[in-house]
Amino acid sequence: MSLIRTLSSRSPWLYRINAGSCNGCDVELATTACIPRYDVERLGCQYCGSPRHADIVLITGPLTARVKDKVLRLFAEIPEPKVTVAVGICPISGGIFRESYAVCGPIDHYLPVDVNVPGCPPRPQAILEGVAKAIEIWKSRL
Amino acid sequence: MPESLALLLSVAIFPGGVFALGLGLGLKGIDRRVAARLQRRVGPPLLQPFFDLIKLSRKQTTVPDTSCRPLFLALPPVGAASMLLAAALVPIPGIYAPDPMLGDMLVLFYLLVVPGMVLMLAGSASGSPFGAIGFSREMMLMLAYETPIVLVLVTAGIRAGGGDGAITLSLTEIMHHQQTHGAFLFDPVMWPALLAFAAFLPANLGTIPFDTPEAETEVLDGPLLEYSGAALGLFKAMSALKAVVVLNLGVCLFFPTAPANPSALLVHLVKLLPMAAGVTVLRVSMGRMRVDQAFRFFFKWPLALAAASVTAAILSR
Repeated sequence: MSLIRTLSSRSPWLYRINAGSCNGCDVELATTACIPRYDVERLGCQYCGSPRHADIVLITGPLTARVKDKVLRLFAEIPEPKVTVAVGICPISGGIFRESYAVCGPIDHYLPVDVNVPGCPPRPQAILEGVAKAIEIWKSRL
Repeated sequence: MPESLALLLSVAIFPGGVFALGLGLGLKGIDRRVAARLQRRVGPPLLQPFFDLIKLSRKQTTVPDTSCRPLFLALPPVGAASMLLAAALVPIPGIYAPDPMLGDMLVLFYLLVVPGMVLMLAGSASGSPFGAIGFSREMMLMLAYETPIVLVLVTAGIRAGGGDGAITLSLTEIMHHQQTHGAFLFDPVMWPALLAFAAFLPANLGTIPFDTPEAETEVLDGPLLEYSGAALGLFKAMSALKAVVVLNLGVCLFFPTAPANPSALLVHLVKLLPMAAGVTVLRVSMGRMRVDQAFRFFFKWPLALAAASVTAAILSR
């Protein structure tokens, strides 16, 4: 059984949710996939377009009031087992948008966050480390 | 009893079933690695498609509220089963010739339509607007690429049927004809048909430039958008099996020369690799065609080439 779990854990598919981000972190996420140096596919990861295919959810942005309900609905659509990674300082504390009337964050008031990757934006290496940690957590839930 | 057992084995173990699935996933792994190397990335492990399939079998399968539940869940097994059967219908030169009881080229052609139909129905049954777009695009593309491939199959049938106007519908006969009279790959009459088949390959496998129905960046996997877990895994298995069926068909139609001993299997695998690599190179070096462009393309070049081959085959017999 543990062999099947180990094999399964080598196929974590990533899904990005932009919860009102300024797009800075999203560019860094694209970097991890598109730039040969950071190639996230060697960990078996693959960015997928559908929440139904996702295993590891990468959330960027401070969770603005406008997207809150949509993000929560999207999160509920992701099949179990899943792991959540908050990318950038915004979903963790609100970052430069904290205390704004338009922001509902921090995101862990609404969703279970497993890994925080702080930074504005975080470096690709940091994101990759966050993903690697998320894979460990995900493996224990499989 | 032994006869039906042999049929069952050919569908479940070799050359269908376990063998075809393993081969298909292996080819997919090579495809992903080669694509990564062409983009100067490291790429996933070669066994990545196997890991993906194992993982998908352990994930929760969700069914959207807006979907037609029975149809939504029934379609993936139907698609995978059709391809298991199709894999047993294509001969492997020097190793395996299908029992005539299983069916001939016509049955194979119908089975090859099933995955497309399944994806179309899956797209519409999922209740997602992206699925509906995928549905219409899949239908357009199928209409476009089916016509040339019928003509290619007919050309091979005429060419292998002998001089007296007979058309053979048996892939085994086509294979034997080439093994005694020389492969169609070196037959000028068949060259246009070969080109038409080369255009059919990426369209049927749903890779760039013809991946319009499942375009990830446009319609987010289209028909597969709402599928998750084991159901999605069955679709992945279906497309892996389909790749094996179509590539085997290519070898059988154009280049089935092989020694008559077990090493023929190795020869066969070596023949599959350049075809699969060709699809990969095309995939990473081109952009995606719009569905109307693909439609027009198939009714222009592959159709004209296939028609030229049919005409030449009829005139030269």
